[in-house]
Amino acid sequence: MTDDRAHHGTVTGQVLSIRVTVNGHVHDVLIEPYLTLIELIRDRLGLTGTKKSCDMQVCGACTVLLNGRPVSACTMLAFEARNAALLTIEGMAQGETLHPIQEAFIEHGGLQCGFCTPGMILAAKALLEETPAPTEEEVKHYMRGNLCRCTGYKRIIESIMVAARRLAQTHNPGALEA
Amino acid sequence: MEPSAVPLHTVGTSPQRLDAREKVTGRATFISDLRVPGMVYTKLWRSPLPHARLRAIDTTTAARAPGVLAVLTAADLADCDRYFGPAYKDQPILAIDRVRYAGEPVVAVVAYSEREAEAAVALLEVDLDELPAVTTLDEALAPEAPLLHETLRPAGHFRDLANMRPIAGTNICHHFHHARGAIEQGFAEAEVIFEDVFTFPMVHHYSMEPHVAIAQVGNDQITVWASTQHPFPVRKELAEMFDLPLARVQVIVPYLGGAYGNKSYTKIEPLVVALARKVGRPVRLALTVEESFKTVRRAAARVRLKTGVQRDGTIVARQCTAHYQIGAYADVGPRVAQKAGYTAGGPYRIPHLHIDTYAVYSNTVNSVAFRGYGVPQLAWAYESQMDIMAERLGLDPLDMRLKNLLRRGEMFAPGDLPIDADLPGDLRRAADAIGWGQPLPRGRGRGLACVIKAPLAPSVSSALVRMHADGSVTLLAGTVEMGQGARTVLSQIVAEELALPLMWVRISQPESGTSPYDQATSSSRSTTLVGLALQAAARDLQQQLLELAAEQLQTHLTHLTLRDGGVEGPGGRLSYADIIADHFGLPGGELIGRGGYRGERGAPLGGVAPFWEVSLAAAEVEVDEGTGQVQLHRYISIADVGKAIHPQQCEAQEEGGVMMGIGHTFFEEMIYQDGQLLNPGLFDYRIPTMTDLPGDLRSILVENADGPGPHGSKGIGESGLMPTAPAIANAIARAIGVRLTALPLTPERVWQAMRAAQADQTA
Amino acid sequence: MLQPFVLEEPTSIHEAVALRARYGATAGLYAGGTELLLTMKEGLLRYERLVNIKLIPELAGLALEDGALHIGAITTHRRLERSPVVRTYFSTMAEMAAHVANVRVREVGTLGGNLCFAEPHADPGTLLLVYDASVALAQQGGTRMLALEQFFVGPFEVALADDEILTAIRVPALPAHTAAAYLKYGLLERPSVGVAVAVTARPDQVQEVRIAVGCVGPTPRRLRDVESLLSQKDLPEVRATLDAAGALAGSAADAVTDLHGSAEYKSYLVGVLLRRAFERAYQQAIGGDTGDAARGSGTA
Repeated sequence: MTDDRAHHGTVTGQVLSIRVTVNGHVHDVLIEPYLTLIELIRDRLGLTGTKKSCDMQVCGACTVLLNGRPVSACTMLAFEARNAALLTIEGMAQGETLHPIQEAFIEHGGLQCGFCTPGMILAAKALLEETPAPTEEEVKHYMRGNLCRCTGYKRIIESIMVAARRLAQTHNPGALEA
Repeated sequence: MEPSAVPLHTVGTSPQRLDAREKVTGRATFISDLRVPGMVYTKLWRSPLPHARLRAIDTTTAARAPGVLAVLTAADLADCDRYFGPAYKDQPILAIDRVRYAGEPVVAVVAYSEREAEAAVALLEVDLDELPAVTTLDEALAPEAPLLHETLRPAGHFRDLANMRPIAGTNICHHFHHARGAIEQGFAEAEVIFEDVFTFPMVHHYSMEPHVAIAQVGNDQITVWASTQHPFPVRKELAEMFDLPLARVQVIVPYLGGAYGNKSYTKIEPLVVALARKVGRPVRLALTVEESFKTVRRAAARVRLKTGVQRDGTIVARQCTAHYQIGAYADVGPRVAQKAGYTAGGPYRIPHLHIDTYAVYSNTVNSVAFRGYGVPQLAWAYESQMDIMAERLGLDPLDMRLKNLLRRGEMFAPGDLPIDADLPGDLRRAADAIGWGQPLPRGRGRGLACVIKAPLAPSVSSALVRMHADGSVTLLAGTVEMGQGARTVLSQIVAEELALPLMWVRISQPESGTSPYDQATSSSRSTTLVGLALQAAARDLQQQLLELAAEQLQTHLTHLTLRDGGVEGPGGRLSYADIIADHFGLPGGELIGRGGYRGERGAPLGGVAPFWEVSLAAAEVEVDEGTGQVQLHRYISIADVGKAIHPQQCEAQEEGGVMMGIGHTFFEEMIYQDGQLLNPGLFDYRIPTMTDLPGDLRSILVENADGPGPHGSKGIGESGLMPTAPAIANAIARAIGVRLTALPLTPERVWQAMRAAQADQTA
Repeated sequence: MLQPFVLEEPTSIHEAVALRARYGATAGLYAGGTELLLTMKEGLLRYERLVNIKLIPELAGLALEDGALHIGAITTHRRLERSPVVRTYFSTMAEMAAHVANVRVREVGTLGGNLCFAEPHADPGTLLLVYDASVALAQQGGTRMLALEQFFVGPFEVALADDEILTAIRVPALPAHTAAAYLKYGLLERPSVGVAVAVTARPDQVQEVRIAVGCVGPTPRRLRDVESLLSQKDLPEVRATLDAAGALAGSAADAVTDLHGSAEYKSYLVGVLLRRAFERAYQQAIGGDTGDAARGSGTA
């Protein structure tokens, strides 16, 4: 939520010009090297679906996919997304058609307050692309770094297992390829 | 409550949550996602010392830093009442003369960006004269202990806090006493007497969303977007502090990213309003997680239970002395000690009761409302002791509980609601589900626990239902959606009353300027009590529709029923749209139904409980005797819900509560040393992860339609976590014969207890 | 929040060491940044410039050559976790890497960065010690190899000069009939106790046991005194000595009391984990399925 466009580079004089593709849209941005990815996403691009919680890479609320890999936007420098494809929660659905993971979360009660949900869904997407038919143990291991304080996790795991089965049926691993 | 004659079309089903789509697409708006034009940002300088006199604050360098608009201390904000608090107005918006805990805000820097504000905070110079601090119960209670507050100013907001009893010259800001029968006689009659002490640590809520607020002040009006569960009490507090009529204070609450009590009553709102008022710009304060750790926690407790029983297991007498260690400012500490203390007998029949609970100030982070509200700490004690007693008497813990559990209709306390659930039946459900009595391999054990909690009473809620010209409705109610599914459940209740599809019902977010008064989203009350208010409002609307339809159809309204978005009877059918258009003479206008709930006033805490929240649990554990690690294999949670309006969400709330209980049972503990909180973050404060889910976690809903709410519903939500710790400790005791009385049950603590037990045996 | 710094992006080792020579301690080496950026955000560390070493191709390699795994400094934990060569020939390392922190940290955090940051509560260093790993340190004059055991100096302190950069980690394959095991205990987010062993054995005959303990003391360390208690013995004798070895390992571990637990408990756990790790490694060593290859080559 910073509005420091006016302060580009005034402290160190260094500004980086990068191109990043976010949810399929190309952006050319001027950024400071010390800008974090979450600041770029939320404050510069106005994509507020990605949430900041612990701000130290432990909770996973800020999970986004960088070239398909899950990363913590809170502790990644924004310039690391240069020439890369970034997927945030806003890129999961295609228009009004939800991704099967999103649908499964809705149907199986995988969310309550919703603050961990964007990060949780993106991490699940990365998991299922890597391991299309995970066991529950594999889900728990991969998703161990995505915390939720509301649900008790049971229904999140259920949602992911259901989504895995559905995706296997449709052979359509991603709405928008990151 | 009579069962519905017409089959229910939405109540009792689990439709998609109305907020689900927004939340899975990232479109749901939380306060930290909002931008208000002209908004600036504030960061706070916080005291590094737990107790000190403020000598001097040098803001000159900070004030000149780039991007800084203002650097403000309490002295700069003296043109308002700078104190707030629901029980005592003892907390200043910024420290005045003295700081009372490490982390207390002292200076606010307001700047054009968060980064600039933070950089300027580092340039402040504050002179502190350290004072002796008390950070444990023993230190705070010591005879010559430094006093945190020399005088106390009751807030006078709430009926049940009207008569607080501080003990002058001590750090005890409230002493609650409750007695029944004659305790000495009780102990004289008892064949065996047990005395045990239990401790519960400080733990932190960790809602994924930390506290955040945006305030805008101007034109004799205050607008705050506040992460609060209590928009109306916050409004009242702000109106008093800034001397404005309630009508000119607007508190708006979009979605909360979790709360569990940490966003109850007033927290950062008064400060943000004072800053906005001073700088003439909207101001945003978003706490970091570390700052939230230094703003809220649960009360730690030391509970001493002396219980007298007969050899056959009948409980005769209980004396409970519980000290709740609250923080530097009271917040709801007194009420926590009081309400919890009231239920120190548990859900059991005990003729002689003598209860004393105390809320004790200490130089630590504020202890505030937290799911369970003092009861988990007490239940940790009384349900653990129940098993200690059963073991010593050679009785099965299930049988001993069944013998003493209160039955439906039995008195809990004179003047209060009798028991409104089948507690023995619920306990048998739990025992059956876990396979109580069936053999287990070595190293495994099962445990039970039953807990009762009284909701906030009395309480007040109003609601409005507006029917638009096409028959769709907007609900206005002050309930905050913080994950519990309130918006969906309340919409279901109204959709049911008005025979409308759920999609035709929309509930608006709480805004004190337009939503009718609701006292609180807390205490497991909203489905039941706000549900009643909305049901009444819907019935008021129903009555209007029936009267108009009767006129329009030329029949008597007793011949008419609501069905499928219209009114029908022998004379024909009219849609709601028809009725409204006919009445107003155009396809416009609206009908408004209003309803309210007003809790019964009474003894002994000021209000009669509208329902009892009961929760029961059965746990099965396995202990790795080499390391002390405990694996929770199975956990059954019983919620006596009356009628589950949305069964999936009821179960989901229970599961979430259980997981929170697992957290404080096994690893959560805020650790203080020399007045410093050593672990204000997720590296050193461990909350449960997906890998902590027990192999078998089940929530069972008992629905006997025996609650006061719509369709016989009762409140749940705090239930999941109240019995968790004692159920697990009891299972551990039965697995390895070792009893632990202090939480959390870390592997090291279990190992220490095993070693001590072995040493006792060899001694 | 991160306060301003200047970014340098050398594309060769030569350029990188020149920057280090020029700016010394005012320039921080930045790879994954998972530890570094965290510490900078908290205001505990401040650098005027960060030197991003991820654009240096020589630091990115992962290959098995001459019986040793050569891991470029900027290889992520995730790459190690998933590399077919590491999983086949250094399976214990792959398994250890798979359990570092969480998946997002593994995707970004590097082995070189992890070793240089020297956070005591960490996994990789402990296991690498029983492989007799070494690190390659480059400066303007050339590159030197240093045994990992000598690289760890203290908490957050390594034997890396201000004008040096760590370019690679060399991990020799375990000898024939040898298997490794790494067991850890964690109460909090970071590991609390870590014990690694490498056991060379034939059925009922234990030739060599290497033992390292980490997380509990200031640095991970090899416990050579304990190793000699268990080496060159037949199995029953080793098993009979495990209790004493465990106790010795516990005290030799130099455990400190902190939020993870008391020194007493940690020392005790070292003994428990040592026994369990030994049994696991022994079974694998005699089973032939060591999971670690003596010889082989290939790019991971």
